[in-house]
Amino acid sequence: MSTDKDENHQRLKAAVHYTVGRLCQKIGEEHRREFSRQAIAAIAETTFRQCDTFAKDLEAFARHGKRSTVSAEDVKLAARRSTALSIYIQKKSEEFNQEQRDLKKNTGKRKSRDTEEESRE
Amino acid sequence: MAEMDAEVAFKKETVRKLLSTFFKEDKTKLSGEAVLLMAEMLKVFVQEAAVRSQKQAESEDCHQVDIEHFEKILPQLLLDF
Repeated sequence: MSTDKDENHQRLKAAVHYTVGRLCQKIGEEHRREFSRQAIAAIAETTFRQCDTFAKDLEAFARHGKRSTVSAEDVKLAARRSTALSIYIQKKSEEFNQEQRDLKKNTGKRKSRDTEEESRE
Repeated sequence: MAEMDAEVAFKKETVRKLLSTFFKEDKTKLSGEAVLLMAEMLKVFVQEAAVRSQKQAESEDCHQVDIEHFEKILPQLLLDF
């Protein structure tokens, strides 16, 4: 039972490590500077732990809204600490909604649902 | 490099599983949009970590970005997220 959980943990860590490695490599190439293995491992570990914090925050936000499903609004709330990040996430959310609307149009199921989101405070 | 143009990002399924394992209650779920936005957020987090570490290495005139550079930028990084 707990070994199962540990294995799952290790797999997820490996997945995070892989993506972190690729992102670092890309940025390293852009700036002509290489990232050491330890640096990548440290960033991966930090990202993994940050996920823990994010998940607990998101869960608490959802529960505060009396929901058991974490919504996009909860994620926006999690990004509140940095203005730039908050704007970026807001933008991505609008892009996603636009895509969904286009998809609906294409499939013919037109629901004229204008969920225009005004920039929330 | 077969996929130079391909955007490096976290897989949606990875993000979903990652967050789900950290939830305290099993019944907590994630909406599709939430997963997508979290994948973006994690990507930004890693990119910030990498770029800031890289800048730190640059300011120290080092060829390689090492763990000590990341250590120096870590406190502010965590305050920003």
